[in-house]
Amino acid sequence: MEAPIYWPSVFFFLFAGLACAFALAVVISPNIVRMAFYLVLSLASTAGLFFLAGADFVGAMQIMIYVGGTLVLLVFGVMLTSQDRFISMKTSTFDLGVTGVVGGCFFLLLWYSALSVPGWRGLSIEQATAAESQLQPTATQLGMGLLGVRVDAPDHSGYLLVFEIISVHLLVVLIGAAYLARARRRKTLAVE
Amino acid sequence: MTPYLLASSLTEPVGVRHFLVVGAFLFICGVVCMATKRNALGILMGIELVLNGANLNFIAFGSPYLRQASESIGLDGQLMSLFVIVLAAAEAAVALAIALNFYNSFNTIDVDRADQLQG
Amino acid sequence: MDRIPLLLLVAWLLPLVSFAIIAIGYSVPQFFGIRVRYSTQKYGAYISVAAIVAACVLSMTAMFWCWLPNNPLKSSEEHEGHAEHTAMASPASVGEHTPFKLVAQEKSEPSDSAATATEPTETERTAAGSNAPPTSLTGDWYVLGQFGNLRLTIGYYIDTLTVTMFCMVSFIASCVHIYATGYMHDELEDYVDHEVHLPNHEHLHRRGRFHRFFQFLSLFSFSMLGICISGNLAMTFVFWELVGISSYFLIGFYIERHSASTAANKAFIVNRVGDFGMLIGLMMIWTTLGTFNFGDMKDADGTVHPGIFSQLRLKQNNYELAPADGMIAFEARAQVAEVVRNGGDDAAVKNLITNLRNDTNAHWGQWALLIAGVGLFCGCMGKSAQFPLHVWLPDAMEGPTPVSALVHSATMVAAGVFLVGRIYPMLSPEALLVVATIGCITLILAASIALTAVDIKRVLAYSTISQLGFMMLALGLGGWVAGLFHLITHAFFKSLLFLCSGSVIHAVHTNDMRQMGGLRHKMPITAYTMLAGCLAIAGIGIPFVFGFSGFHSKDAIVEQAIHFARTNGGTHPWMWLYVVIPLIGAALTSFYMFRLWYMTFAGSPRDPHKYDHAHESPPVMANVLIVLSIFAVCAGWSLSWVGPGVLKNFGVESLLEQARPIGILGNKPGVLLSTLVIPDEHASHATAVKVPAGVSAILVALAGVLGATIVYLWESISAASLRRSMSLLYAATWNKWWFDELYDYLFVRPTHLIAAFIARVLDRGIIDGIIHSLAYIVRGFAQVVGIGGDRYVIDNAVDTFAEKTWDLGLSLRSLQTGRLRQYVMFIVVGMIVLFIVASLLVKFAVAG
Repeated sequence: MEAPIYWPSVFFFLFAGLACAFALAVVISPNIVRMAFYLVLSLASTAGLFFLAGADFVGAMQIMIYVGGTLVLLVFGVMLTSQDRFISMKTSTFDLGVTGVVGGCFFLLLWYSALSVPGWRGLSIEQATAAESQLQPTATQLGMGLLGVRVDAPDHSGYLLVFEIISVHLLVVLIGAAYLARARRRKTLAVE
Repeated sequence: MTPYLLASSLTEPVGVRHFLVVGAFLFICGVVCMATKRNALGILMGIELVLNGANLNFIAFGSPYLRQASESIGLDGQLMSLFVIVLAAAEAAVALAIALNFYNSFNTIDVDRADQLQG
Repeated sequence: MDRIPLLLLVAWLLPLVSFAIIAIGYSVPQFFGIRVRYSTQKYGAYISVAAIVAACVLSMTAMFWCWLPNNPLKSSEEHEGHAEHTAMASPASVGEHTPFKLVAQEKSEPSDSAATATEPTETERTAAGSNAPPTSLTGDWYVLGQFGNLRLTIGYYIDTLTVTMFCMVSFIASCVHIYATGYMHDELEDYVDHEVHLPNHEHLHRRGRFHRFFQFLSLFSFSMLGICISGNLAMTFVFWELVGISSYFLIGFYIERHSASTAANKAFIVNRVGDFGMLIGLMMIWTTLGTFNFGDMKDADGTVHPGIFSQLRLKQNNYELAPADGMIAFEARAQVAEVVRNGGDDAAVKNLITNLRNDTNAHWGQWALLIAGVGLFCGCMGKSAQFPLHVWLPDAMEGPTPVSALVHSATMVAAGVFLVGRIYPMLSPEALLVVATIGCITLILAASIALTAVDIKRVLAYSTISQLGFMMLALGLGGWVAGLFHLITHAFFKSLLFLCSGSVIHAVHTNDMRQMGGLRHKMPITAYTMLAGCLAIAGIGIPFVFGFSGFHSKDAIVEQAIHFARTNGGTHPWMWLYVVIPLIGAALTSFYMFRLWYMTFAGSPRDPHKYDHAHESPPVMANVLIVLSIFAVCAGWSLSWVGPGVLKNFGVESLLEQARPIGILGNKPGVLLSTLVIPDEHASHATAVKVPAGVSAILVALAGVLGATIVYLWESISAASLRRSMSLLYAATWNKWWFDELYDYLFVRPTHLIAAFIARVLDRGIIDGIIHSLAYIVRGFAQVVGIGGDRYVIDNAVDTFAEKTWDLGLSLRSLQTGRLRQYVMFIVVGMIVLFIVASLLVKFAVAG
């Protein structure tokens, strides 16, 4: 072995492979319940990739919000509409073919663009190690950034306004969702 | 060739482009999912995948390990991805509500049947 | 004195203000459909009455506080003394200028008048007979426009005649206004017109229009006063027409009645005939004299522009009438042109004119003078209803009775006589003979028709025409004062008579005298005031002791007639007709007036039903009758016994004597008719004329009264047997001498025939043909353009564009599948394409 294995890369490939594989499984699987399951796994693997990129807080959020929240929501949706005829719905082969070709083209395009920028090639081991040595949790910095103070880059603007807007947006969305999905009073109930 | 490539990859730190390729793959998977699934919830899952792929790109661009810290966009990437996550959650909630409403109204979840707006 | 124009201006404009207020406050809202309440309409009448009463007060103020203190009156003896012996004292004059600065001048300059009594030439002049111009105020208030030399102004010419007319018109108008507030009371509620039959056999129901009546009365008063004060002929003509139009409105007050609207049209059209002549006269005056002003006008820079009177009666010519230079130049156009063509200057032209003037055989300019005078008299004929234009006045009785009283007896028809009096200095003896002849024919014609008329108002209408004939006769025979004296007295007693007849009609609701009789028991005030009026118009009186107003004025006319006949009778014995006919006319007058009175008030009721319902009129009407009857009795009196003061010698006659126009005294020999002499008026008061005139006038008047009494009161001779014995005469007078029929055949039918011919041939055949063929051409053209241009080119272009848009929409519509998954594919493909395009752009366009 001329060079030692750099373990973060190994984990990267592991999680990347998992994420891609489960994403592909989501695409391929005709069963909606399994799709949800594969999606959970794919998203979780992506969270691993986030950790590897040094975004510990975001990764945690990924697991908590996506896996723990959004996905649960989706599963609820699946369960609420879980008639047999909707569990697995076949798509026509023609559609699949066309979509595959178009998607493949798009993927090749993106791959090509990703590889075409030299600066995106990656660091040397020494640089990477040096960067690792300055490792520190990002939660505090993110929290400060959201409150308008940038610890990491004082000349960058904070995100307080965006944060507030997002908050209000969330509130509105939740109320709206509750309104849209509220249980309609059925007539039979009224008769009862 | 391939084993060598793999080996060399394993001994070197990965770069932004690796993440970008993974993100692109997730994105394409999400798009294909949206384009092929007839179940409305499947389409929602596709959207989640697309957003996730985009998120991965943000993280990659903001990471200090993947390229020179001076070139990285720093914490902005993570903040952006946080917002994306939040918005994805919100979107999921609304979309699910719409889907449920659709289901209640038409007693189906097949988006191919939701073509009343066709020209 | 300098306040007079202002006073009269205000008096003149007040009725206009009232007219405007009523028009804006009542008529305009009504035009837009707003109903004016009757309680509100009543105030319109009050405004009108207030305006005219104020005008009357102002006129009286002008007369007694401003005019007379400055111009003391003289007794008639003084005047005659002057005429017979020495220089006539010039009228007192005043030195100030009028307050209106624009162009104002007083004719009698102080130095002038002070000198007149002593100037040596004065004796010669008065010996020749002419008198100096009377005191007058002239000036312009407002310049309407200046077209080259033609200057149209609102101006004034104020002399004693103007002031007297103002007092008379505004006083009678006030009486009639007040009377009308009672008489027109029916109009203060919804009115049922029993003389209008609708197609559904009902009577017309309409809103009352009380205010409208007073609105027109105000307009009329304004116009009439405008004629009186007007300072030039153009302005006179304007107000002449305004009087005509107000008369038209008032005759047609009951516009829904066919007879009323026809009568209004008839009055208007017949007056147009006369006005045509008047226009000719105006054109002649403008062409030859270059001015319309009566009096002299002083410019702002002091230049004096001589008016009509001073141009025709030059001072160096002893104020004798002579054609102006312009008239001679007008008649001798050819010679003048010849002189100018040969290079003659103004002096040469002037020289030529002087030569022509001295050519006594050719009478240059006399015809122009005659045409101007007779032309203007044509207008007066129309307005004063003289033969042959008298036909409109009896029909005008369709108007309400106050209108007849004011407009068609006392004032408007008097405007014609007034104008003759006003333009008197420019009437040549020949023109005066025309005036006299027309008046003579009119008076006997109208009197004869009045004999048989049974409509009470028509009797009065014909008597009006007859009396106007008397006035014209007097004026034409040289009796300027006599004619206008009769005008004033007649205004009082005729308005009284009309208002009395209105009172009777108000009581019995009919105009037909055959349904009246015995009414004096029911309505004593009306009966005895009317009796006073009848005595006045008949000219009853005891000579030299006492007389009703008509006695004095008619006496003066007869005197003048006898004097005229004596002067001319030697050469022309037929001129005695000018005496005989008025005497017959006077007899007829008293006959028909007393016939009227007996048929109406005396004897036993012929229609007991109507008699039972008759009643005396309300106090507002009766009081007016009493006031007017006082004036009818004493309007002719002269206050010669009053001591010194304003009222010394006060009387209509002395007022008029003071107003006597420039240069009309003395015997005026005719030029074209060399044997004609218009005699001096003062000479007619000589005892040799006065006694036979007075005796004959009173005798014929008493004869008329006696005749009427025999036939209609005692009924010793039955009217029916008289009618049978003179059936031809009766038929002629009953049918008004067939004038209406004659005009119908002479003018109306030919006009209809011509109109029908023109309508059928010219209008329908030629003009319509041209228009129709034009229309066909245009239609054909339009069809060609429509089919060729429109349908094929434009329509096709538009249609094609629309179809293409439609097709594009249809094809695009299939894109909109409504399938969600397809949309995702579109997005993806679109993104790929965008990506590639952007890359290529960057590579080749930006980077390369």
